[in-house]
Amino acid sequence: MKLAGLNTIENAHEESVWAVTWVPETDSRPPLLLTGSLDESVKIWESDDLILKGTNTGHCLGVVSVACHPSGVIAASASLDSFVRVFDVETNATIATLEAPPSEVWQMKFDPKGTVLAVAGGGSASVKLWDTATWQLIVTLSVPRPESSKPSDKGGSGKFVLSVAWSLDGRNLACGSMDGTISVFDVARAKFLHHLEGHFMPVRSLAYSPIHPRVLYSASDDAHIHMYDAEGKSLVGAMSGHSSWVLSMDVSPDGTALATGSSDRTVRLWDLSMRAAVQTMSSHKDQVWGVAFRPPGVTGVRAGRLVSVSDDKSISLYDYS
Amino acid sequence: MGCVYIPVQHSDEEVRVVLNQLPLDANDILDILKAEQASLDLWLIIAREYFKQGYVEQFQQILEEGSSPEIDEYYADVKYDRIAILNALGAYHSYLGKCESKGAKKDDHFISATKYYNKASRIDIHEPSTWVGKGQLLLAKGDLEQASGAFKIVLDGNKDNVPALLGQACVQFSRGRYSDSLELYKRALKVYPSCPGAVRLGIGLCRYKLGQFDKARQAFQRVLQASELDPDNVEALVALGLMDLQINKGDEIQKGMEKMQAAFEIYPYCAVALIYLANHFFFTGRHHAVERLTDTALAVSEPGLQKSHSFYNLARSYHTKGDYEKAGFYYMASVKEISRPHDFVLPYYGLGQVQLKLGDFRGSLSNFEKVLEVYPENGESLRVVGHIYVQLGQTEKALDVLRKATRIDPRDAQAFLELGELLISSDAGAALDAFKTTSLLKLHFTYARHESHLLASGNHFMVSQARSLLKKSGGKAPIELLNNIGVLHFDKGDFELAKQTFKEALGNGVWLDLVDGKFCSSAVDSDQFCDMQLFQRLQERGDPVELQWDKVTTLFNYARLLEQLHDAEKASILYRLILFKYPDYQDAYLRLAAIAKSRNNIQLSIELIGEAIKVNEKCPDALSMLGALELKNDDWLKAKETFRAAREATDGKDSYSALSLGNWNYFAAARSEKKGAKLEATHLEKAKELYTKVLVQHPANLYAANGAAVVLAEKGQFDVSKEIFTQVQEAASGSIFVQMPDYQNCLRKFYYNTDTQVLLYLARTHYEAEQWQDCKKTLLRAIHLAPSNYTLRFDAGVALQKFSASTLQKTKRTADEVSDPISFFSPFVRSTVAELKNAVRVFSQLSAASNHHIHGFDEKKIETHVGYCKHLLDAAKVHCEAAEREELQNRQRLEVARQVALAEEARRKAEEQRKYQLEKRKQEDEIKQVRQQEEQFERKKEQWKSSTPASKRKDRSHADDEEGGHSENRRRKGGKRRKRDKKPQYEMDEVEPNTMYEDDDDMDDIDTNLVNNHEKDKDQMNRQENDGEENTQDLLAAAGLEDSDVEDDMNDPPSTKYRRKRALSDSDEDEPSDRKAESGQNRESLAEPESDGEFREKEELHRDTYEEDED
Repeated sequence: MKLAGLNTIENAHEESVWAVTWVPETDSRPPLLLTGSLDESVKIWESDDLILKGTNTGHCLGVVSVACHPSGVIAASASLDSFVRVFDVETNATIATLEAPPSEVWQMKFDPKGTVLAVAGGGSASVKLWDTATWQLIVTLSVPRPESSKPSDKGGSGKFVLSVAWSLDGRNLACGSMDGTISVFDVARAKFLHHLEGHFMPVRSLAYSPIHPRVLYSASDDAHIHMYDAEGKSLVGAMSGHSSWVLSMDVSPDGTALATGSSDRTVRLWDLSMRAAVQTMSSHKDQVWGVAFRPPGVTGVRAGRLVSVSDDKSISLYDYS
Repeated sequence: MGCVYIPVQHSDEEVRVVLNQLPLDANDILDILKAEQASLDLWLIIAREYFKQGYVEQFQQILEEGSSPEIDEYYADVKYDRIAILNALGAYHSYLGKCESKGAKKDDHFISATKYYNKASRIDIHEPSTWVGKGQLLLAKGDLEQASGAFKIVLDGNKDNVPALLGQACVQFSRGRYSDSLELYKRALKVYPSCPGAVRLGIGLCRYKLGQFDKARQAFQRVLQASELDPDNVEALVALGLMDLQINKGDEIQKGMEKMQAAFEIYPYCAVALIYLANHFFFTGRHHAVERLTDTALAVSEPGLQKSHSFYNLARSYHTKGDYEKAGFYYMASVKEISRPHDFVLPYYGLGQVQLKLGDFRGSLSNFEKVLEVYPENGESLRVVGHIYVQLGQTEKALDVLRKATRIDPRDAQAFLELGELLISSDAGAALDAFKTTSLLKLHFTYARHESHLLASGNHFMVSQARSLLKKSGGKAPIELLNNIGVLHFDKGDFELAKQTFKEALGNGVWLDLVDGKFCSSAVDSDQFCDMQLFQRLQERGDPVELQWDKVTTLFNYARLLEQLHDAEKASILYRLILFKYPDYQDAYLRLAAIAKSRNNIQLSIELIGEAIKVNEKCPDALSMLGALELKNDDWLKAKETFRAAREATDGKDSYSALSLGNWNYFAAARSEKKGAKLEATHLEKAKELYTKVLVQHPANLYAANGAAVVLAEKGQFDVSKEIFTQVQEAASGSIFVQMPDYQNCLRKFYYNTDTQVLLYLARTHYEAEQWQDCKKTLLRAIHLAPSNYTLRFDAGVALQKFSASTLQKTKRTADEVSDPISFFSPFVRSTVAELKNAVRVFSQLSAASNHHIHGFDEKKIETHVGYCKHLLDAAKVHCEAAEREELQNRQRLEVARQVALAEEARRKAEEQRKYQLEKRKQEDEIKQVRQQEEQFERKKEQWKSSTPASKRKDRSHADDEEGGHSENRRRKGGKRRKRDKKPQYEMDEVEPNTMYEDDDDMDDIDTNLVNNHEKDKDQMNRQENDGEENTQDLLAAAGLEDSDVEDDMNDPPSTKYRRKRALSDSDEDEPSDRKAESGQNRESLAEPESDGEFREKEELHRDTYEEDED
């Protein structure tokens, strides 16, 4: 289990790069990379050489999240002005513009089957689900305010929803909030199930394990990574090592490793069986806002890839083996 | 029952005097004696009987009567009895003189004793008993030579005179000639075998002094055992006790003490017994008994060494109890009783220690130096002297002394340790070496000697070699040393080395498995920080969970190291392990609480501190932390109580708790706006009082000064507060608030770019510099970091709005100035319009969100902004159209010009053609004619050319006008700015914030600057208006609105500087909402001391320092 640097593009964007995702390969082309930046653009890159394939403009204010449909045909990008733009990866044709005021837009994720797009709704304390066929709002999953809510809870920022994650079967959805609680929903019934507690600072990234359907990983500003039994409501383990906020996290496709990006400018690789950091990459010069493992392709033979993006405007690509 | 018979004069009758029924009034007896003219030996017998029964006065009265001149006359021929009476009186007075402690009375007694003896000598100069008495007197006076002479005279006459023998023996004993003395005692015993125990006592003492302890013991025992002797002889008891004590074994000491006690019971005023008893009780810790005994001892003991001992005992007792003042006093008394330090050096040592404790370094130094005079190679004293030199700042001397200590005894690892500790401050590397040396020393003397030399020469390479030698020899350094070495590495930032060292110190144990994560498969509960189940499970499984007491500190330090390496999880396991075995280890609780706090888990943190406080409810650190947590948790009342308790726990000396209380009061004042002005005033007053108190204690405390200034500003005393702020700022140079332009560096250095507050400052700087795009980007970054902070969104909206407004103004000017407006114009307007739309969107979103009560903005205010932006949009539209129109016109104009040029060209070509033809036709014509024609043509050409320069000149004059306007501006600003050029807006404003920060001292100037800027803006707008463009009227109105908004909104990004400025300039026009915002900023800056507290927590590292021996 190790990472080896493959390629780095300095100044990939004019400003901080805030979001990254992989576009799965299609029959006609290899996998691509999608990055979003404060410079209001979304760029498409060819892996492994990181050749710029296209630049999408049209967003105002920084691009905070990018997500790609499992088919690899369409993708979505979201910016601080609370618009979600859905577009065709090949042609950059706008398919839809989603907006649900006054809800902002933070992390977005397509469900594993690709029928629903989940969007973290920030201060609206909810997750919006959009139908990917009609691009209509299906439902709003609201995070219930805690019973013991104190009036002093500053402006309700407690349940500000930042991050989302789909379970492997697409039946459950977890969302992380500013106050550190994670809420789990039953998507089919649009029902809130329970909270997962343990963090007390913003949870900026969530991911379900691809091999243990109940296991949910969370990354938080408290510099810790937690492992939860998402159904049993219990904290299974915690890992520490970053010296500052953990901003992003992804689980390797084989489910044995975790990659995290942090404000401490490092990317760390964690061995989940040892529950310890096995490698620290320090190639970035500023906080690392996004990390993503390449999903296994249809052919699935090529070695694993990890990408990281940072405030230093660069993109780094690693070989994961 | 003895009785004497006084023969009645002139008859055979006798008066029977029963000796134990002597009348209390001596005159009764005297009358009889005188009346019957009884023989003088009867007088003496009766007097002696009085003395034996303790009636000293009667004894004296009879003898004095018996030695009066009438008696001398009457009994002139009874020589011997008269001498005996005189001698008895002399002996009595020498005894009194010997017992008397006061100099004058002592002398009186000795004088009268001498008088009596002299009188006796006059009666018969050869009487030996008189000489013996004289000898005793001289002995009592300490005049050994003369005493010896007196005894010698007697012995020359009769070599078996027992009293003289004893006297001489005493003299020899005092002279230290113990064997001579022993011989004399022996002779006395031979001559007079049934002599009193004192003789045997003397023999015992001599033997004791000669080192024949067994024989001495026999002698002492015989004194006590022999029934005919003196079974209650205190001296013998004491001597035996002493001997027992000196064997220094448990039961012997017990026996010795029993004897001392017996002696004490027989005679409660025996100083030696008292002193030794006190000494014993000192070691058994019964200080009360020590003091009582010593008080008695002081009353009875002879001046000099004994008194000194007594004082020393007393001092030592107080010393141990921590009453340094009294201890110092008694040590001093003890020292005063000693003529030479050589006699009894311990009180000097104690006095030195006490003075050291009380901070009297010089006094202490001189005392320790006295100790060193006596024992020049006393390692402890050398170390202390070294320590004092350190305190006095004479590091060189200290090093010398310590090095001497290490040289004298190279095995003295303690001294090396001290040396190492000393070196830490100056040279951590050398200190490390010293510690290493110490660790070596403890094990391998050979290497250590080698290395101490190396250390002196600073040869690091050799040190490491020595160390490897040590390793080869398989030695293992003691844990405390490794711990200290580890801590040193830790302090130096060599975390890896520290880790290794700690691990080495800890050796094998359960912690290894814990740290290696072998047990992590077990589930962790959500209340992970209190969880002890892990260890219980381990124990159930049969794995021993053991933690030796001497490893706790090292384990704690190891955990601290892990924490420093951001491995809080493992650190917490180790802390819990410590607590599992040692539930009273408060610091582990505090660290766990700190970890929980850093993870924002307030509840858990409070619980953990609760545990810590259970261990020690007066721990100020725990209380302060608890207070901070409660404040964070919005538990105002509790926080106040806790801070109070913390303050009391430290007798108000802890500035942190006082500051926190001050802050609390300030917040309370800021909070209670609704509750009424009175309450606010009281809170402010309290806050000020507290800040001032802290300032009195620590005049350099920035937080307190800052707090005081804030309160003063709040109360409207701006002048004073301004002054304090300036001072704070000057003092804090190097802190982040001063390095305004260096925010970016600061962010990177201190906060991993995660501090939105600093980002906000940065945005503010950009805003002031009118770098709108940078400002916007910075704000967006901040939003990205703190998504739920709607203030940032609001600020972003304001930035967008301001950006649009200023671009709209600028476009117009550039349109005037730039010769080719087309490429410049439309992109500006287009981007402006886009940004305006964004601004509208941001504001309307905020406005919508305000329905959810997510943030605290005034809806109306947002609406105003929305309105203004929309208005600007409209304006921009018109503007845009105008611009486009102008663009069109420009294009048309250019087209016309091009056509004109084309026509001209055509015309010229035609003319040329014509000329050519003419030339061709009239080639043969006269040359003159041709020339004329040519000249004419040239003139024409000239004329045509000159039209272009003329227009250029006109342009330039226009530009001059612009310049003039600027220079006028410049003049008005009082030459404040040096830089200035044709594109003034950007350049100038970049300079502006800088100068502003540089000119800390004159606020007024800055204010003027601001005002000037303001005016300048208006000026420019006026000019634009005068330019005759349409719509500027609207724009001006809009700008007016905008300006007032800016005043309100953009003071959100706070900085001490701006706050100050705001406080100074806008005090009158403050609206309530404005005030709120302001106090918000103050609150942020006030929150700073918290980090101070955290820092303190962090710094808490345990170092095993050796503790000075109290003795």
